[in-house]
Amino acid sequence: MKFAFLCQQKPGLSRQKIAVVGAGPAGLTAAGYLVCRGHEVDIYDKLPIPGGMMTFAIPKYRIPLDSIMEGVEELRDRFGVKLNLSTKVTCGERHDEGDELAVNTVDMLKLVENYDATLISTGTWRSRKLGIPGDDAKNVMSALEFLLDIHMEELGLRASHLGSFKKVVVIGGGLSAVDAAEESILKGASEVYLVYRRTIKEAPAGEYEIRRLSRLGVNWIELAAPKSVTIENGVARGVVFQRMKLGEPDESGRPRPIPVPGSEFEVEADIVAAAIGEIPTPPIASECGGIGKHVGKDGKIAVDKSFRIPGTNIFAAGDVVTGPSKIGQAVGQGLRAAKEIDRFLSVKVLVAR
Amino acid sequence: MSNPGVLVRVIDYSKCMGCETCEVVCGFIHELGPFIRLYDLGGGVKRPISCFHCSKAPCVEACPTGAMRRDSQGTVYIEFSRCIGCMACLYACPFGIPDYSETTKTSIKCDLCRLLRGDGLIPACVAMCPSRAILVGLPKAVGDEVKKRALTRIVQLGEIK
Repeated sequence: MKFAFLCQQKPGLSRQKIAVVGAGPAGLTAAGYLVCRGHEVDIYDKLPIPGGMMTFAIPKYRIPLDSIMEGVEELRDRFGVKLNLSTKVTCGERHDEGDELAVNTVDMLKLVENYDATLISTGTWRSRKLGIPGDDAKNVMSALEFLLDIHMEELGLRASHLGSFKKVVVIGGGLSAVDAAEESILKGASEVYLVYRRTIKEAPAGEYEIRRLSRLGVNWIELAAPKSVTIENGVARGVVFQRMKLGEPDESGRPRPIPVPGSEFEVEADIVAAAIGEIPTPPIASECGGIGKHVGKDGKIAVDKSFRIPGTNIFAAGDVVTGPSKIGQAVGQGLRAAKEIDRFLSVKVLVAR
Repeated sequence: MSNPGVLVRVIDYSKCMGCETCEVVCGFIHELGPFIRLYDLGGGVKRPISCFHCSKAPCVEACPTGAMRRDSQGTVYIEFSRCIGCMACLYACPFGIPDYSETTKTSIKCDLCRLLRGDGLIPACVAMCPSRAILVGLPKAVGDEVKKRALTRIVQLGEIK
């Protein structure tokens, strides 16, 4: 991915300094646009390798690491972008998935002071919890944690913490669920179950992807929702599901799954991976000098039309603004936000003179 | 232009995951675009299609004013000042690629990022595709890469890397 696809080299002298927090598709693409407008860009990311979900969640056969790294290396070597990896930028306390991999911490508000503008593109690194008895067992995790662990080992960064596993139960019907189920198969799991509370028609990943997984050997179970995790000696051994039937459309417009009484059944599991939705993780986890009020209950950063947190020089783009989306949408957010940052800084220069 | 060779672009659908990056970057840099667009094929499958820049392009043949033409790299583009918006090109195109623009009152379509190529850059969709599913280059180079990929799938060397 040639993030600086709009120019061969930086035009003229460096203009202003911009921090990009979060090196996923939105942040890297924004950096590419901004260097082509002559700005100096520093990137911060909590993980040891850039790319965000593209590097640590999406299977490598879909996005080769080279594809991301060639663009990142060009940003670094040809455009002088500074990469501050394994560095968590935050204001206030909150644990997100993957935070344990950060070595350094930088205070968000101090960082902002050192730059003419800051772009927040930290994505969605928190997963919804199952919220059922037994879901705190060590081998019950989010699909994101599961995928992160597999990718860490694949990338040669550390040995897997998962131990050996044969039976994997993935709960959910979206793309994270599909990726977790597929990686399980690729890792040699002998029984993989993908369990969704509605039917294949409603699954956000789409019928095609689920049928493809079925051909790979994944057992697709629809119309079932988890009720409890069966624990033996502190370790999850299985998941009890309850059958569902479809009712009237709910607020999302999809038919509401309604539990069928007395229909419980159990599926054995060495690993339970929940992929029931990811939540935005802005580097703002408290009041943070007044900017905290721009973070919604759902974790999304509320920005104005120009991607700016009103009254500040802080911008936000990508999944941290929209919630989970496709790579293309995050790339588009990064581009449009970068254009606005460039405009904002040009106006600032005019006013200052 | 320095490179007189004819460019071809191929979308490798075995690599494409429907992430929409090509459509989004194309739309960002082209006010009238995007000129590569994904269509929903049902079952949650979306895939992109764009101009094939055919070597015997029916749109060029059909264009009554000579607006549909080629640049030095063989890329089919529209000279707006000559286009009368009759859309004969659309009728001629077996893939239905040309669109009508209300803004310019002309036909519009992909020109493989002529402006970027003029600066020695590659088309944006190719540059930004995360899965390297869009290839552009001289026919021999693109053909070799596509064959190598097919061979890799057949021999299943993929896992070694």
